[in-house]
Amino acid sequence: MSMVVPVAVVVAYLVLLTFVAVRARAAREFEEFSLAKRALPLALVFGSLAATYVGPGYSIGFVGRGFKNGFLFLGIGLAYCLQNILVGLLIAPRLRSLNNCHTLGDVIGQKYDRKCQVLAGIISVGLCAGFSAVMAKAGCVVLNDVFNLPNWSSVAIVVGITALYTTFGGLRASVITDAFQFTAFATLLPVTLLLVLVFHLKGGPATFTSQAISATTEGIKATPIIEIVGLVAAFLLGETLIPPYANRALASKTTQVSRNGFILAGIFSVVWFLVMISLGITARIVIPMDTHEDRVLLNLVRSIMPASGYALLLVVIVSVVMSSLDSLLNAGAVAFTQDIVKPFAELPNGRALNIGRAATIVIAIIASVGAVFVPGIIDGLLICYTIWAPAILPALVIGLWIKHPRPLAGILSTAAGTVVAVLFEFIIPDPLGIPAIIPAIISALLAYFLGHCFGNPKTSTEQSRM
Amino acid sequence: MEIVILVFVVISALMAIACGIWVAIALGSAISKDDEKKISIDNEDP
Repeated sequence: MSMVVPVAVVVAYLVLLTFVAVRARAAREFEEFSLAKRALPLALVFGSLAATYVGPGYSIGFVGRGFKNGFLFLGIGLAYCLQNILVGLLIAPRLRSLNNCHTLGDVIGQKYDRKCQVLAGIISVGLCAGFSAVMAKAGCVVLNDVFNLPNWSSVAIVVGITALYTTFGGLRASVITDAFQFTAFATLLPVTLLLVLVFHLKGGPATFTSQAISATTEGIKATPIIEIVGLVAAFLLGETLIPPYANRALASKTTQVSRNGFILAGIFSVVWFLVMISLGITARIVIPMDTHEDRVLLNLVRSIMPASGYALLLVVIVSVVMSSLDSLLNAGAVAFTQDIVKPFAELPNGRALNIGRAATIVIAIIASVGAVFVPGIIDGLLICYTIWAPAILPALVIGLWIKHPRPLAGILSTAAGTVVAVLFEFIIPDPLGIPAIIPAIISALLAYFLGHCFGNPKTSTEQSRM
Repeated sequence: MEIVILVFVVISALMAIACGIWVAIALGSAISKDDEKKISIDNEDP
Protein backbone atom coordinates (compact mmCIF):
# COMPACT_ATOMS: atom_id res chain seq x y z
CA MET A 1 0.00 0.00 0.00
CA SER A 2 1.30 3.46 -0.87
CA MET A 3 2.30 5.33 2.31
CA VAL A 4 1.57 8.79 0.89
CA VAL A 5 -2.17 8.88 1.58
CA PRO A 6 -2.03 7.46 5.14
CA VAL A 7 0.80 9.79 6.09
CA ALA A 8 -1.02 12.80 4.55
CA VAL A 9 -4.28 12.00 6.36
CA VAL A 10 -2.59 11.48 9.75
CA VAL A 11 -0.51 14.66 9.38
CA ALA A 12 -3.61 16.65 8.33
CA TYR A 13 -5.47 15.29 11.36
CA LEU A 14 -2.64 16.23 13.74
CA VAL A 15 -2.51 19.74 12.26
CA LEU A 16 -6.28 20.12 12.72
CA LEU A 17 -6.03 18.83 16.29
CA THR A 18 -3.28 21.31 17.09
CA PHE A 19 -5.44 24.08 15.61
CA VAL A 20 -8.37 23.08 17.86
CA ALA A 21 -6.06 22.88 20.89
CA VAL A 22 -4.63 26.34 20.19
CA ARG A 23 -8.16 27.75 19.89
CA ALA A 24 -8.87 26.37 23.37
CA ARG A 25 -6.38 29.05 24.61
CA ALA A 26 -3.73 28.71 27.30
CA ALA A 27 -4.81 28.51 30.94
CA ARG A 28 -4.10 31.78 32.78
CA GLU A 29 -4.59 30.52 36.33
CA PHE A 30 -4.51 27.23 38.26
CA GLU A 31 -8.32 27.14 38.64
CA GLU A 32 -8.55 27.13 34.84
CA PHE A 33 -5.72 24.59 34.45
CA SER A 34 -7.27 22.16 36.96
CA LEU A 35 -11.03 22.70 36.71
CA ALA A 36 -11.65 24.76 33.55
CA LYS A 37 -13.23 27.33 35.89
CA ARG A 38 -16.02 24.85 36.68
CA ALA A 39 -17.93 25.88 33.58
CA LEU A 40 -18.11 22.72 31.42
CA PRO A 41 -21.49 22.18 29.70
CA LEU A 42 -23.22 18.80 29.47
CA ALA A 43 -22.17 17.90 25.90
CA LEU A 44 -18.48 18.55 26.65
CA VAL A 45 -18.56 16.65 29.97
CA PHE A 46 -20.24 13.71 28.24
CA GLY A 47 -17.96 13.80 25.17
CA SER A 48 -14.84 14.12 27.26
CA LEU A 49 -15.83 11.29 29.64
CA ALA A 50 -16.63 9.00 26.71
CA ALA A 51 -13.44 9.99 24.87
CA THR A 52 -11.41 9.24 28.00
CA TYR A 53 -12.86 5.80 28.69
CA VAL A 54 -12.86 4.71 25.04
CA GLY A 55 -9.19 3.82 24.90
CA PRO A 56 -7.51 1.07 22.87
CA GLY A 57 -9.16 -1.57 25.11
CA TYR A 58 -12.72 -0.37 24.42
CA SER A 59 -12.11 -0.05 20.66
CA ILE A 60 -9.49 -2.44 19.22
CA GLY A 61 -9.86 -4.75 22.25
CA PHE A 62 -13.67 -5.00 22.04
CA VAL A 63 -13.65 -5.60 18.27
CA GLY A 64 -11.24 -8.49 18.90
CA ARG A 65 -13.43 -9.84 21.71
CA GLY A 66 -16.51 -9.63 19.47
CA PHE A 67 -14.59 -11.58 16.81
CA LYS A 68 -13.70 -14.38 19.26
CA ASN A 69 -16.51 -14.32 21.85
CA GLY A 70 -19.50 -12.66 20.15
CA PHE A 71 -21.86 -10.86 22.50
CA LEU A 72 -20.31 -12.32 25.70
CA PHE A 73 -18.41 -9.10 26.35
CA LEU A 74 -21.52 -6.99 25.82
CA GLY A 75 -22.96 -8.66 28.94
CA ILE A 76 -19.74 -7.96 30.85
CA GLY A 77 -19.67 -4.39 29.50
CA LEU A 78 -23.10 -3.77 31.05
CA ALA A 79 -21.28 -3.69 34.41
CA TYR A 80 -19.34 -0.67 33.15
CA CYS A 81 -22.56 1.05 32.09
CA LEU A 82 -24.06 0.36 35.51
CA GLN A 83 -20.97 1.76 37.23
CA ASN A 84 -21.19 5.05 35.33
CA ILE A 85 -24.91 5.41 35.99
CA LEU A 86 -24.42 4.70 39.73
CA VAL A 87 -21.58 7.24 39.90
CA GLY A 88 -23.83 9.75 38.13
CA LEU A 89 -26.73 9.16 40.50
CA LEU A 90 -24.89 8.75 43.80
CA ILE A 91 -21.41 10.28 43.73
CA ALA A 92 -20.81 12.87 40.98
CA PRO A 93 -23.37 15.42 42.27
CA ARG A 94 -21.93 15.10 45.81
CA LEU A 95 -18.42 15.69 44.48
CA ARG A 96 -19.52 18.73 42.46
CA SER A 97 -21.32 20.26 45.45
CA LEU A 98 -18.09 20.38 47.52
CA ASN A 99 -16.30 23.72 47.53
CA ASN A 100 -12.58 24.28 46.93
CA CYS A 101 -11.98 20.75 45.65
CA HIS A 102 -9.73 20.30 42.61
CA THR A 103 -9.03 16.58 42.96
CA LEU A 104 -10.20 13.40 44.67
CA GLY A 105 -7.32 13.91 47.11
CA ASP A 106 -8.89 17.25 48.03
CA VAL A 107 -12.20 15.51 48.65
CA ILE A 108 -10.53 12.86 50.81
CA GLY A 109 -8.57 15.60 52.60
CA GLN A 110 -11.78 17.48 53.38
CA LYS A 111 -13.51 14.36 54.64
CA TYR A 112 -10.55 12.85 56.57
CA ASP A 113 -7.26 14.72 57.03
CA ARG A 114 -4.11 15.97 55.33
CA LYS A 115 -2.27 12.63 55.62
CA CYS A 116 -5.09 10.88 53.75
CA GLN A 117 -5.00 13.59 51.08
CA VAL A 118 -1.25 13.17 50.50
CA LEU A 119 -1.61 9.36 50.38
CA ALA A 120 -4.49 9.65 47.89
CA GLY A 121 -2.42 12.15 45.88
CA ILE A 122 0.57 9.80 45.66
CA ILE A 123 -1.69 6.94 44.51
CA SER A 124 -3.45 9.24 41.99
CA VAL A 125 -0.18 10.48 40.47
CA GLY A 126 1.24 6.94 40.34
CA LEU A 127 -1.92 5.61 38.72
CA CYS A 128 -2.08 8.42 36.15
CA ALA A 129 1.59 7.84 35.25
CA GLY A 130 0.90 4.08 34.95
CA PHE A 131 -2.18 4.57 32.76
CA SER A 132 -0.29 7.14 30.66
CA ALA A 133 2.51 4.62 30.07
CA VAL A 134 -0.11 2.11 28.84
CA MET A 135 -1.57 4.72 26.46
CA ALA A 136 1.92 5.67 25.22
CA LYS A 137 2.57 1.99 24.54
CA ALA A 138 -0.73 1.72 22.60
CA GLY A 139 0.14 4.78 20.48
CA CYS A 140 3.58 3.33 19.86
CA VAL A 141 2.11 -0.01 18.70
CA VAL A 142 -0.20 1.71 16.19
CA LEU A 143 2.45 3.99 14.69
CA ASN A 144 4.99 1.16 14.54
CA ASP A 145 2.50 -1.07 12.83
CA VAL A 146 1.82 1.39 10.06
CA PHE A 147 4.92 3.49 9.57
CA ASN A 148 7.59 1.08 10.89
CA LEU A 149 9.04 3.85 13.03
CA PRO A 150 11.47 3.07 15.85
CA ASN A 151 9.76 2.76 19.27
CA TRP A 152 11.27 5.92 20.71
CA SER A 153 10.06 8.11 17.86
CA SER A 154 6.51 6.68 17.92
CA VAL A 155 6.27 7.36 21.65
CA ALA A 156 7.81 10.82 21.21
CA ILE A 157 5.25 11.80 18.54
CA VAL A 158 2.16 10.65 20.47
CA VAL A 159 3.25 11.78 23.95
CA GLY A 160 4.99 14.95 22.72
CA ILE A 161 1.97 16.40 20.88
CA THR A 162 -0.43 15.44 23.68
CA ALA A 163 1.83 16.85 26.41
CA LEU A 164 2.28 20.08 24.45
CA TYR A 165 -1.37 21.10 24.36
CA THR A 166 -2.14 19.69 27.83
CA THR A 167 0.77 21.59 29.41
CA PHE A 168 -0.42 24.95 28.12
CA GLY A 169 -4.19 24.55 28.00
CA GLY A 170 -4.79 22.36 31.08
CA LEU A 171 -8.17 20.73 31.59
CA ARG A 172 -10.01 22.98 29.15
CA ALA A 173 -7.66 22.10 26.27
CA SER A 174 -7.92 18.45 27.26
CA VAL A 175 -11.74 18.56 27.23
CA ILE A 176 -11.92 20.54 23.96
CA THR A 177 -9.54 18.18 22.16
CA ASP A 178 -11.34 15.18 23.71
CA ALA A 179 -14.58 16.47 22.16
CA PHE A 180 -12.85 16.80 18.78
CA GLN A 181 -11.37 13.30 19.05
CA PHE A 182 -14.70 11.87 20.26
CA THR A 183 -16.39 13.31 17.18
CA ALA A 184 -13.77 11.63 14.97
CA PHE A 185 -14.07 8.11 16.38
CA ALA A 186 -17.78 8.18 17.34
CA THR A 187 -18.67 8.87 13.71
CA LEU A 188 -15.98 7.01 11.73
CA LEU A 189 -16.14 3.59 13.43
CA PRO A 190 -19.97 3.29 13.31
CA VAL A 191 -19.85 4.41 9.65
CA THR A 192 -17.33 1.59 9.04
CA LEU A 193 -19.81 -0.86 10.62
CA LEU A 194 -22.66 0.41 8.44
CA LEU A 195 -20.46 0.07 5.32
CA VAL A 196 -19.60 -3.53 6.21
CA LEU A 197 -23.27 -4.35 6.87
CA VAL A 198 -24.44 -2.79 3.60
CA PHE A 199 -21.68 -3.90 1.20
CA HIS A 200 -19.90 -6.93 2.69
CA LEU A 201 -22.50 -8.94 4.59
CA LYS A 202 -22.90 -11.91 2.28
CA GLY A 203 -26.01 -13.86 3.23
CA GLY A 204 -27.75 -10.93 4.92
CA PRO A 205 -29.10 -10.77 8.49
CA ALA A 206 -29.17 -14.57 8.85
CA THR A 207 -25.39 -14.77 8.41
CA PHE A 208 -24.81 -12.06 11.00
CA THR A 209 -27.07 -13.79 13.52
CA SER A 210 -25.54 -17.23 12.96
CA GLN A 211 -22.01 -15.82 13.36
CA ALA A 212 -23.09 -13.98 16.50
CA ILE A 213 -24.64 -17.11 18.02
CA SER A 214 -21.69 -19.38 17.23
CA ALA A 215 -19.12 -16.83 18.50
CA THR A 216 -21.06 -16.19 21.71
CA THR A 217 -21.50 -19.92 22.35
CA GLU A 218 -17.76 -20.51 21.80
CA GLY A 219 -16.99 -17.59 24.13
CA ILE A 220 -19.21 -18.87 26.94
CA LYS A 221 -17.73 -22.38 26.65
CA ALA A 222 -14.15 -21.08 26.66
CA THR A 223 -14.51 -18.68 29.61
CA PRO A 224 -14.69 -20.11 33.16
CA ILE A 225 -17.34 -18.64 35.47
CA ILE A 226 -14.70 -17.32 37.91
CA GLU A 227 -13.07 -15.40 35.06
CA ILE A 228 -16.42 -13.87 34.11
CA VAL A 229 -16.96 -12.85 37.78
CA GLY A 230 -13.49 -11.27 37.86
CA LEU A 231 -14.11 -9.39 34.61
CA VAL A 232 -17.48 -8.11 35.84
CA ALA A 233 -15.79 -6.92 39.08
CA ALA A 234 -13.02 -5.19 37.09
CA PHE A 235 -15.53 -3.48 34.77
CA LEU A 236 -17.79 -2.52 37.67
CA LEU A 237 -15.12 -1.14 40.01
CA GLY A 238 -11.71 -0.91 38.35
CA GLU A 239 -12.10 2.37 36.52
CA THR A 240 -14.59 3.96 38.89
CA LEU A 241 -13.82 7.64 39.40
CA ILE A 242 -10.17 7.44 38.37
CA PRO A 243 -8.67 10.97 38.56
CA PRO A 244 -9.64 12.19 35.04
CA TYR A 245 -13.30 11.24 35.58
CA ALA A 246 -13.36 12.85 39.01
CA ASN A 247 -11.88 16.05 37.53
CA ARG A 248 -14.73 16.18 35.01
CA ALA A 249 -17.30 15.67 37.78
CA LEU A 250 -15.70 18.54 39.73
CA ALA A 251 -15.37 20.80 36.65
CA SER A 252 -19.00 20.50 35.49
CA LYS A 253 -21.08 23.65 35.32
CA THR A 254 -23.67 22.43 37.87
CA THR A 255 -24.40 19.34 39.96
CA GLN A 256 -27.08 18.42 37.42
CA VAL A 257 -24.59 18.55 34.54
CA SER A 258 -22.20 16.41 36.56
CA ARG A 259 -24.90 13.79 37.23
CA ASN A 260 -26.30 13.74 33.68
CA GLY A 261 -22.82 13.65 32.10
CA PHE A 262 -22.01 10.38 33.88
CA ILE A 263 -25.45 8.86 33.20
CA LEU A 264 -25.24 9.67 29.48
CA ALA A 265 -21.65 8.38 29.31
CA GLY A 266 -22.88 5.14 30.92
CA ILE A 267 -25.69 4.72 28.40
CA PHE A 268 -23.31 5.54 25.54
CA SER A 269 -20.94 2.80 26.69
CA VAL A 270 -23.56 0.12 25.89
CA VAL A 271 -24.19 1.63 22.45
CA TRP A 272 -20.44 1.78 21.84
CA PHE A 273 -19.75 -1.78 23.00
CA LEU A 274 -22.56 -3.05 20.75
CA VAL A 275 -21.06 -1.26 17.73
CA MET A 276 -17.53 -2.55 18.46
CA ILE A 277 -18.67 -6.13 19.09
CA SER A 278 -20.81 -6.08 15.94
CA LEU A 279 -17.75 -4.95 13.97
CA GLY A 280 -15.92 -7.97 15.40
CA ILE A 281 -18.78 -10.32 14.44
CA THR A 282 -18.95 -8.99 10.89
CA ALA A 283 -15.16 -9.41 10.64
CA ARG A 284 -15.71 -13.18 10.99
CA ILE A 285 -17.33 -13.06 7.54
CA VAL A 286 -14.57 -10.95 5.96
CA ILE A 287 -11.16 -11.92 7.39
CA PRO A 288 -9.52 -15.30 8.24
CA MET A 289 -10.58 -16.86 11.55
CA ASP A 290 -6.98 -17.28 12.76
CA THR A 291 -6.44 -13.49 12.88
CA HIS A 292 -5.04 -12.31 16.23
CA GLU A 293 -7.60 -10.42 18.38
CA ASP A 294 -5.63 -7.17 18.40
CA ARG A 295 -5.33 -7.21 14.60
CA VAL A 296 -9.02 -7.77 13.79
CA LEU A 297 -10.02 -4.11 13.40
CA LEU A 298 -6.91 -3.17 11.42
CA ASN A 299 -7.21 -6.18 9.10
CA LEU A 300 -10.97 -5.74 8.63
CA VAL A 301 -10.60 -2.11 7.56
CA ARG A 302 -7.54 -2.88 5.43
CA SER A 303 -9.45 -5.56 3.54
CA ILE A 304 -12.63 -3.58 2.84
CA MET A 305 -11.42 -0.01 2.37
CA PRO A 306 -9.03 1.81 0.06
CA ALA A 307 -5.82 3.39 1.42
CA SER A 308 -7.66 6.57 2.41
CA GLY A 309 -10.14 4.56 4.48
CA TYR A 310 -7.29 2.78 6.23
CA ALA A 311 -5.70 6.15 6.92
CA LEU A 312 -8.96 7.34 8.48
CA LEU A 313 -8.86 4.36 10.78
CA LEU A 314 -5.38 5.37 11.88
CA VAL A 315 -6.76 8.78 12.69
CA VAL A 316 -9.46 7.15 14.79
CA ILE A 317 -6.95 5.05 16.71
CA VAL A 318 -4.59 7.96 17.27
CA SER A 319 -7.64 9.93 18.56
CA VAL A 320 -8.60 7.12 20.89
CA VAL A 321 -5.10 7.02 22.39
CA MET A 322 -4.51 10.78 22.64
CA SER A 323 -7.91 11.58 24.17
CA SER A 324 -7.22 9.18 27.04
CA LEU A 325 -3.58 10.25 27.41
CA ASP A 326 -4.26 14.01 27.67
CA SER A 327 -6.86 13.49 30.41
CA LEU A 328 -4.45 11.32 32.40
CA LEU A 329 -1.53 13.75 32.07
CA ASN A 330 -3.66 16.65 33.25
CA ALA A 331 -5.25 14.71 36.12
CA GLY A 332 -1.84 13.49 37.33
CA ALA A 333 -0.36 17.00 37.18
CA VAL A 334 -3.27 18.53 39.08
CA ALA A 335 -3.13 15.78 41.73
CA PHE A 336 0.61 16.35 42.16
CA THR A 337 0.20 20.11 42.63
CA GLN A 338 -2.91 20.03 44.77
CA ASP A 339 -2.42 16.89 46.88
CA ILE A 340 1.35 16.48 47.20
CA VAL A 341 2.85 19.99 46.97
CA LYS A 342 0.09 22.27 48.28
CA PRO A 343 -0.37 20.58 51.70
CA PHE A 344 3.28 21.45 52.51
CA ALA A 345 3.75 24.84 50.88
CA GLU A 346 1.86 28.07 50.30
CA LEU A 347 1.31 28.22 46.55
CA PRO A 348 0.27 31.47 44.93
CA ASN A 349 -1.83 31.02 41.80
CA GLY A 350 0.96 31.61 39.28
CA ARG A 351 3.35 29.24 41.02
CA ALA A 352 0.69 26.51 41.26
CA LEU A 353 0.07 26.90 37.53
CA ASN A 354 3.79 26.58 36.76
CA ILE A 355 4.15 23.51 39.01
CA GLY A 356 1.11 21.96 37.29
CA ARG A 357 2.67 22.57 33.87
CA ALA A 358 6.05 21.20 34.94
CA ALA A 359 4.34 18.14 36.45
CA THR A 360 2.54 17.50 33.14
CA ILE A 361 5.89 17.36 31.35
CA VAL A 362 7.49 15.14 34.02
CA ILE A 363 4.57 12.67 33.97
CA ALA A 364 4.75 12.63 30.15
CA ILE A 365 8.46 11.75 30.35
CA ILE A 366 7.81 9.04 32.96
CA ALA A 367 5.03 7.63 30.74
CA SER A 368 7.34 7.60 27.71
CA VAL A 369 10.05 5.72 29.61
CA GLY A 370 7.50 3.45 31.33
CA ALA A 371 5.92 2.50 27.98
CA VAL A 372 8.93 0.23 27.38
CA PHE A 373 8.10 -1.82 30.51
CA VAL A 374 4.33 -2.18 29.94
CA PRO A 375 3.64 -5.93 29.52
CA GLY A 376 0.68 -5.46 27.18
CA ILE A 377 -2.15 -2.96 26.77
CA ILE A 378 -4.94 -4.92 28.48
CA ASP A 379 -2.59 -6.39 31.14
CA GLY A 380 -1.29 -2.91 31.94
CA LEU A 381 -4.80 -1.51 32.31
CA LEU A 382 -5.90 -4.39 34.55
CA ILE A 383 -2.92 -3.81 36.90
CA CYS A 384 -3.92 -0.13 37.26
CA TYR A 385 -7.59 -1.03 37.89
CA THR A 386 -6.65 -3.63 40.50
CA ILE A 387 -4.76 -1.08 42.59
CA TRP A 388 -7.04 1.95 42.13
CA ALA A 389 -10.39 0.53 43.19
CA PRO A 390 -9.39 -0.96 46.58
CA ALA A 391 -6.98 1.87 47.44
CA ILE A 392 -9.32 4.80 46.95
CA LEU A 393 -12.96 3.84 46.41
CA PRO A 394 -14.00 2.53 49.87
CA ALA A 395 -12.62 5.60 51.68
CA LEU A 396 -14.00 7.99 49.07
CA VAL A 397 -17.49 6.59 48.72
CA ILE A 398 -18.07 5.96 52.44
CA GLY A 399 -16.57 9.35 53.27
CA LEU A 400 -19.03 11.09 50.96
CA TRP A 401 -22.00 9.34 52.52
CA ILE A 402 -21.40 9.20 56.30
CA LYS A 403 -21.54 12.24 58.57
CA HIS A 404 -18.31 12.12 60.58
CA PRO A 405 -15.70 9.99 58.79
CA ARG A 406 -12.60 9.24 60.88
CA PRO A 407 -9.08 9.81 59.55
CA LEU A 408 -7.79 6.44 60.86
CA ALA A 409 -10.45 4.66 58.78
CA GLY A 410 -9.34 6.53 55.64
CA ILE A 411 -5.64 5.77 56.16
CA LEU A 412 -6.16 2.09 57.07
CA SER A 413 -8.54 1.47 54.19
CA THR A 414 -6.22 3.08 51.62
CA ALA A 415 -3.13 1.31 52.97
CA ALA A 416 -4.81 -2.12 53.28
CA GLY A 417 -6.40 -1.86 49.81
CA THR A 418 -3.07 -0.92 48.21
CA VAL A 419 -0.97 -3.53 50.06
CA VAL A 420 -3.38 -6.44 49.42
CA ALA A 421 -3.83 -5.46 45.75
CA VAL A 422 -0.03 -5.31 45.21
CA LEU A 423 0.43 -8.58 47.16
CA PHE A 424 -2.11 -10.57 45.12
CA GLU A 425 -1.20 -8.91 41.81
CA PHE A 426 2.60 -9.16 41.92
CA ILE A 427 3.93 -11.24 44.84
CA ILE A 428 1.54 -14.22 45.10
CA PRO A 429 -0.59 -13.82 41.97
CA ASP A 430 -3.72 -15.90 41.48
CA PRO A 431 -3.53 -18.14 44.61
CA LEU A 432 -7.16 -19.38 44.41
CA GLY A 433 -7.97 -18.27 40.89
CA ILE A 434 -9.71 -15.20 42.34
CA PRO A 435 -8.82 -11.83 40.75
CA ALA A 436 -6.74 -9.64 43.13
CA ILE A 437 -9.29 -6.82 43.06
CA ILE A 438 -11.82 -8.86 45.10
CA PRO A 439 -9.69 -9.72 48.21
CA ALA A 440 -8.19 -6.22 48.06
CA ILE A 441 -11.59 -4.53 48.21
CA ILE A 442 -12.75 -6.81 51.03
CA SER A 443 -9.56 -5.99 53.00
CA ALA A 444 -10.03 -2.26 52.41
CA LEU A 445 -13.62 -2.43 53.67
CA LEU A 446 -12.60 -4.43 56.78
CA ALA A 447 -9.75 -2.01 57.48
CA TYR A 448 -12.16 0.90 57.12
CA PHE A 449 -14.56 -0.69 59.61
CA LEU A 450 -11.74 -1.23 62.15
CA GLY A 451 -10.46 2.32 61.67
CA HIS A 452 -13.94 3.71 62.15
CA CYS A 453 -14.45 1.71 65.36
CA PHE A 454 -11.11 2.59 66.95
CA GLY A 455 -10.21 5.95 65.40
CA ASN A 456 -10.95 9.42 66.74
CA PRO A 457 -12.99 12.03 64.88
CA LYS A 458 -11.14 14.78 63.04
CA THR A 459 -9.46 17.34 65.34
CA SER A 460 -10.79 20.88 65.44
CA THR A 461 -7.46 22.13 63.96
CA GLU A 462 -7.91 19.85 60.97
CA GLN A 463 -11.54 20.89 60.62
CA SER A 464 -10.68 24.59 60.61
CA ARG A 465 -7.82 24.03 58.15
CA MET A 466 -10.19 22.35 55.72
CA MET B 1 -35.47 -12.43 14.81
CA GLU B 2 -32.43 -11.94 12.53
CA ILE B 3 -33.87 -8.68 11.23
CA VAL B 4 -34.58 -7.43 14.76
CA ILE B 5 -30.97 -8.01 15.87
CA LEU B 6 -29.58 -6.29 12.80
CA VAL B 7 -31.97 -3.33 13.14
CA PHE B 8 -30.86 -2.99 16.76
CA VAL B 9 -27.20 -2.93 15.67
CA VAL B 10 -27.92 -0.33 12.95
CA ILE B 11 -29.83 1.87 15.42
CA SER B 12 -26.88 1.69 17.84
CA ALA B 13 -24.48 2.78 15.09
CA LEU B 14 -26.76 5.69 14.20
CA MET B 15 -27.04 6.69 17.87
CA ALA B 16 -23.24 6.73 18.20
CA ILE B 17 -22.98 8.92 15.09
CA ALA B 18 -25.67 11.25 16.49
CA CYS B 19 -23.71 11.57 19.76
CA GLY B 20 -20.59 12.46 17.75
CA ILE B 21 -22.48 15.18 15.87
CA TRP B 22 -24.01 16.57 19.10
CA VAL B 23 -20.58 16.86 20.73
CA ALA B 24 -19.16 18.43 17.53
CA ILE B 25 -21.85 21.13 17.65
CA ALA B 26 -21.13 21.79 21.35
CA LEU B 27 -17.42 21.98 20.55
CA GLY B 28 -18.02 24.57 17.83
CA SER B 29 -20.12 26.63 20.20
CA ALA B 30 -17.50 26.40 23.00
CA ILE B 31 -14.70 27.49 20.67
CA SER B 32 -16.66 30.46 19.33
CA LYS B 33 -17.49 31.54 22.91
CA ASP B 34 -13.78 31.24 23.73
CA ASP B 35 -12.97 33.53 20.83
CA GLU B 36 -15.41 36.16 22.14
CA LYS B 37 -13.86 35.93 25.62
CA LYS B 38 -10.35 36.16 24.17
CA ILE B 39 -11.25 39.35 22.30
CA SER B 40 -12.75 40.90 25.45
CA ILE B 41 -9.69 39.89 27.57
CA ASP B 42 -7.32 41.29 24.93
CA ASN B 43 -9.29 44.55 24.92
CA GLU B 44 -9.10 44.77 28.74
CA ASP B 45 -5.32 44.25 28.81
CA PRO B 46 -3.40 47.54 28.72
